[in-house]
Amino acid sequence: MSGWAVFGEAALVLIGGGIVGLFYRGLDRKIAARMQARVGPPIRQPFLDLGKLLVKETVIPKTAVTWIFSAMPFLAVLASFTALLYLPLGPFPPVLDGHGDAILVLYLLAVPALAMALGGLASGSPLGVVGAQRELVMLMSYEFPLAVVLVAVAWRVAVLGFSPAFSLGTIAMHPLWTVVGPLGILGLAILCLTLLVVTPAELAKIPFDIPEAETEIAGGLFAEYSGTYLALFYLADAVRTVVLAGLVVALFLPYGIAKTLGLAGAAAQAVDLLFWLFKVFAVMVVAVTTVRVGMARLRVEQVARGFWLWGTAAALGGLLLLALDKVVMG
Amino acid sequence: MILKTLISQLLSRPATNQFPTKYMPRSVTKFLTRVQAGEDKVHPPVQVPARFRGKIGYDREKCIGCQLCIRVCPAKVIEFKPETKKIRMHVARCTFCAQCVDVCPTAALSLTAEFLLADTDRGSKNLIVE
Amino acid sequence: MSERNPKDPENPVLPGVEEEREVTLGGPERGLAEVFEVPIGPIHPALKEPIRLTFRVRGERIVGVQIRTGFAHRGIEFMGMRQGRNLVQVLYLSERICGICSVSHPIAFTQAVERAAGIEVPPRAQYIRVIISELERIHSHLLWAGVAAHELGFDTLLHLTWRVREKVLDILEELSGNRINYAIPIFGGVRRDITPEQYPKVWEAIRYYRGLLEQLLDAFLRDPTVEARTRGVGVLERKEAEGLCAVGPTARASGLRKDVRQDRPYLAYSDFQVRAITPKDYGLTPVGDVYDKIVVRLLEVGQSLDIIEKALENMPEGEITSFPKIPALLAHLKKAEGEGLGWHEAPRGEVIHYVRLAAGDESLLVWKVKAPTYSNLLSWYPMFEDQEIADIPIIAACIDPCICCMDRVYIVRDGKEEAWTKEGLLRLSWEKTRRLQR
Repeated sequence: MSGWAVFGEAALVLIGGGIVGLFYRGLDRKIAARMQARVGPPIRQPFLDLGKLLVKETVIPKTAVTWIFSAMPFLAVLASFTALLYLPLGPFPPVLDGHGDAILVLYLLAVPALAMALGGLASGSPLGVVGAQRELVMLMSYEFPLAVVLVAVAWRVAVLGFSPAFSLGTIAMHPLWTVVGPLGILGLAILCLTLLVVTPAELAKIPFDIPEAETEIAGGLFAEYSGTYLALFYLADAVRTVVLAGLVVALFLPYGIAKTLGLAGAAAQAVDLLFWLFKVFAVMVVAVTTVRVGMARLRVEQVARGFWLWGTAAALGGLLLLALDKVVMG
Repeated sequence: MILKTLISQLLSRPATNQFPTKYMPRSVTKFLTRVQAGEDKVHPPVQVPARFRGKIGYDREKCIGCQLCIRVCPAKVIEFKPETKKIRMHVARCTFCAQCVDVCPTAALSLTAEFLLADTDRGSKNLIVE
Repeated sequence: MSERNPKDPENPVLPGVEEEREVTLGGPERGLAEVFEVPIGPIHPALKEPIRLTFRVRGERIVGVQIRTGFAHRGIEFMGMRQGRNLVQVLYLSERICGICSVSHPIAFTQAVERAAGIEVPPRAQYIRVIISELERIHSHLLWAGVAAHELGFDTLLHLTWRVREKVLDILEELSGNRINYAIPIFGGVRRDITPEQYPKVWEAIRYYRGLLEQLLDAFLRDPTVEARTRGVGVLERKEAEGLCAVGPTARASGLRKDVRQDRPYLAYSDFQVRAITPKDYGLTPVGDVYDKIVVRLLEVGQSLDIIEKALENMPEGEITSFPKIPALLAHLKKAEGEGLGWHEAPRGEVIHYVRLAAGDESLLVWKVKAPTYSNLLSWYPMFEDQEIADIPIIAACIDPCICCMDRVYIVRDGKEEAWTKEGLLRLSWEKTRRLQR
């Protein structure tokens, strides 16, 4: 593939990812509203919000460390969008397949969280500092289960002998559910569940919206952010929702329907892409929307304890079952 | 459990009364002109009960200028016009306690169901009753 | 008799008054984490009204708190005492002390004036006052439950409770003509009767809430995340609730059976045998945490339904006011002289109004209002002790604070906060008494 083609593809994916992210945010808000018996905002509302934020004045507080404060929104957006390029998009392999592996995606997911924490710390507001502390504690607690899940699946695919072993593209091409035995299926189910629980934590949504916690610390990390910078964080958040839901899909639901429907060629690809978008949407509704309307916000120490004890135990248990299955099945 | 509530609410109609419209119009003034021209419709507000205390109605003919209403009004809404021995009410100040209606000996004052009284000018025609 | 104050021998310590409470909580500062200040308020999403809480925190843990009020003092008592306002006008002023307990203050105020002026209230009027105030309790407690859910980040419960609250507001609108500020009590009775056509509507609302109560209890008390956030949080022990004179659901959640309707029945309340509700009625040992406060408030919704049912069944016939003509009432009040105390169990606790009338004067000579939050505010200190930042909103909300109702003057002179000492206040009160005696 020539350099220009990759560039074009990447541009397409980035723009499409941004639009899908905001559109899904609108759907998420609409469905959440309907679950609460409200009418909710129109689905185009996130686009309007983003546009409004972009024309608003960007205030930088006097107490802030200006360059960190200003750089972090861009870093968050860059990392979130870059992660899109490593995501298998249904029938299409990742745009940058072979230029980085699943571990890189893990880092790319952690970078926006770190950027938000640094931005909060640099804002010079006590609320921002508290938010940043909470974000870091959260990061440390959910990152380990997330890594274990990713590594467990990648290892199992690697054992099958496909390469590049740790690429999300490879993992998505070889669904594990049909390869492993009953023990493995149990292990995979546990890992899938763990990832679904980690998803709202990674996205800082209720019950894990502790770093922002509107009623407690008035937006925490974002307390001092406004205008363009806030718009960038908003965009990064929308894109990360797609990336994480896409990660769940790539690891555990990488199936297409085109073959079953007997389609081929461009039509098959189009149908599979639409089906992929639907899967991402379904994962978002299950793991983000329903959870965020059905729960109260937890305390940071409850979350840390939960992830360190139960999250880690579940992830390691899943890994162990997967390994046992490999031993049993040979 | 809460999940049951969520799903049943997702599948039923929202409880919101969509007054005056479902979504915020792009331009409120344009929307209102369209409504006046009959091109757009306002979703009706909830019906008010019979006893509703809305804008005070005033029957000039029945008024005898006894000023009792002025004596009981807690918000000093009512102004006496000595030349005609009638009253003028500044609705913008009204707290809708309807004490003046209760005290009026000739039933010149009455309760109406009107409650859409928002205005940018407290001296506007809609907010002065005389 | 008073004993000598070792610090200041000139001024004796009054018996029964403890030394000023230290606001720094917890033990001596230790550990490596830096202590820094987190200001909450006067404008903050967790607070619906202006008050400033300055927390000193180490990490996420609260080590000290300072409460500063005085942002929303409206001087309503002063307005009521000014010349040129007669009592009927002041009645509507008293209704606007609080938007949520908008019938509690008038009920206490009318009682105080009725006692001072020797006005009888017909039994039917007493029953109507009881019904309206119990309906108000339902709406206030549901409102609180929604706010509490919102503070916990559980917006679905907020929308659920506020949606079902519409029903009681509709009934209040049906009975009084307005959803808030019902303008029902007047000196000597009530202004609006409950007509035969309205009974079925009230009964229907009662049935609606009876059916819903179990669902609400389930949604609040058996939700694992709500439990995780409220159990053991903001504990007010029974002893502390007693010592700090907490009132209303705040005290009852700590296991104190304290309710003005039970302790000093007024109006028709003696007919209903009200018994203060504590978590024991739900089969729990009272701890005094936020969870218990949810329990007490939700159970009180059921209790209010019981009272309204009984009141509707036993409603006496007769007049609704002893002064159907307002001019006659005004004339009577002008002649009246004396002082009176009125009390009522508002949804947040006891509210007390004191009035003094002078003959030949249309306006009030003295008017003193004690809103329930005034008694409950101090219970914040032990509740915040050693809690986490995350719990600030729900602890602040759990006493159901109504800051504007209780707010007092806060003196800042030349940028410095000025505190009135006990002695200074005593002197001020002596001077005022002398002025009044003259």
